[in-house]
Amino acid sequence: MKKPAVPLILDDFEPQEREVASNLGMPGLRMQFFRGPVWGKTPAQLQKQVIEGNNPVTGKPVMRELVELLTRPLAAGEQKTGELRRDAGPETYTGTPDELHRLFLEKRYTDFLPVVLPTEERVAEMLKFTSRRPDDALGRMNPGSEAGESWTYTVKTAAINAVMAGADPEYFPVILALGSTGMTAVNVSDNGFMAGAVINGPIRDEIGLNYEEGAVGPFARANTTIGRAWSLLSINGGNCGKVGTTYMGTIGNPMNLIGIIMAENEERSPFQPLSVRRGFKKGENVVTLFMGWGILSAKNWAATVWGPNMDYPGIIKEIYGTQDGHLFGTCAVLSPPIANFIRDAGYDTVEKFTEWVTGQAPGAKRAPAGPEINLGVRKSGGTFTVIVTGGSNNNYFSMGGMVPAQSVRIDDWR
Amino acid sequence: MRLRMTGIVILCLGLFCALSPAGRPTLAAGPAAAETITVYNPMGTPPPVTLRPQAPRLDTLEGKTLYFVNTGFIGGDRLMAVMSDWFKANYPGTRIVYKESGAGVSALSPALWDEITREGDAAIVGLGH
Repeated sequence: MKKPAVPLILDDFEPQEREVASNLGMPGLRMQFFRGPVWGKTPAQLQKQVIEGNNPVTGKPVMRELVELLTRPLAAGEQKTGELRRDAGPETYTGTPDELHRLFLEKRYTDFLPVVLPTEERVAEMLKFTSRRPDDALGRMNPGSEAGESWTYTVKTAAINAVMAGADPEYFPVILALGSTGMTAVNVSDNGFMAGAVINGPIRDEIGLNYEEGAVGPFARANTTIGRAWSLLSINGGNCGKVGTTYMGTIGNPMNLIGIIMAENEERSPFQPLSVRRGFKKGENVVTLFMGWGILSAKNWAATVWGPNMDYPGIIKEIYGTQDGHLFGTCAVLSPPIANFIRDAGYDTVEKFTEWVTGQAPGAKRAPAGPEINLGVRKSGGTFTVIVTGGSNNNYFSMGGMVPAQSVRIDDWR
Repeated sequence: MRLRMTGIVILCLGLFCALSPAGRPTLAAGPAAAETITVYNPMGTPPPVTLRPQAPRLDTLEGKTLYFVNTGFIGGDRLMAVMSDWFKANYPGTRIVYKESGAGVSALSPALWDEITREGDAAIVGLGH
């Protein structure tokens, strides 16, 4: 607009906002910081906290400094033009294994767990499991906000991170499919979003994905290391998950360590696989990405108090009514026995069950999340997604907020 | 005496092993730890950055129009209200215009951008939260 402007920002966001400004070409952008949060505060509290307060970064009075930022003439450094070319360091590092492990930790290339060092031989072995060339562009990823910059990465970058995660090379097409979407497994939001994926098709058995007992936990190498490879690719390929700049989760989310990789238990499910419900043919190998708050055992909701005759459809509907419908809607991860309870109650398709739970016909458009979210308008439930996985040793299920995003054919990445 | 000489020899050997010819400490582990390997850097590629100059500043706020733009997070409206009050009390010659711009961190709409360019002299764009 060619008019002087100053962004007002909470001081907690200072490192991130300075990085954002640098990425946008204004490394010395004048900003004004104040102590937050401000929501829920009365005008009198804001008067004391902000108007009469100091900028926590500079120690100067907020309002006087704000005037100065708009009126003090620009220094030469604030008027620079040109292009800055950046790289992310050398292509390789040489050292002893101990030195390299320390280096990877110091440079925040890891999730703080030990990694497999990505030697040329190991990366070459990983690359044998795709027909794609190492230097082919694979994806473009930002931390999950329009404010973040997008980094690019290649098939080889994915192979390097897959090696580090401890993935078997035969998992590589799944990892490439995930990376091709550009969706981060470690979202920047202060909400602490998580990411997950559901895999359908015969590849589940081909690579040993667990969809029986412990299906959503770290109880098989394939589930665990595919999720970890996605997280590491997000941290390194997409420069995500750096606290203070590209990660701001106020409390954080334990599901950020390893993206949850679920394989549906298609064999024991009474319903069509998720991929088929999303338009793919049965038998196709498909990965569907999810984002949200995460899931936890539905046993923690009061609705599931034990009784001799458990009304599982009713319990799920009651929990649906307690979920925030704005961002991610509701996701139910059902064990096969629970899915069969639902079928036996008369809902022989997920679509019929969804219509009953949500009160909306299949394909009904989701109400857009607009300004009403900030006016305190509550909309419960939202979209409803059903995933069937896990063992049949008891009647358990999990629920939470996760919404499906892209679905990708895995075989396109072989 | 013999014990003392032995001690001196061990001490010298210890110093010899612990210092490289340049006098710098080296790792005293077995031969496997000393082997070096080469590994790949796992990072992606950042985009290039085009530097942009900031707009020239005002010489005074007196007689100028100052836009307060609330980007829509909760609390931004109240924050800007108390800030506007401060400007009205301390800079009575400054005209304050309050606008709301979408929800969350969305960029300013082209219409609002044009309006500020056309009718404003400066802007304060605020994030509640």
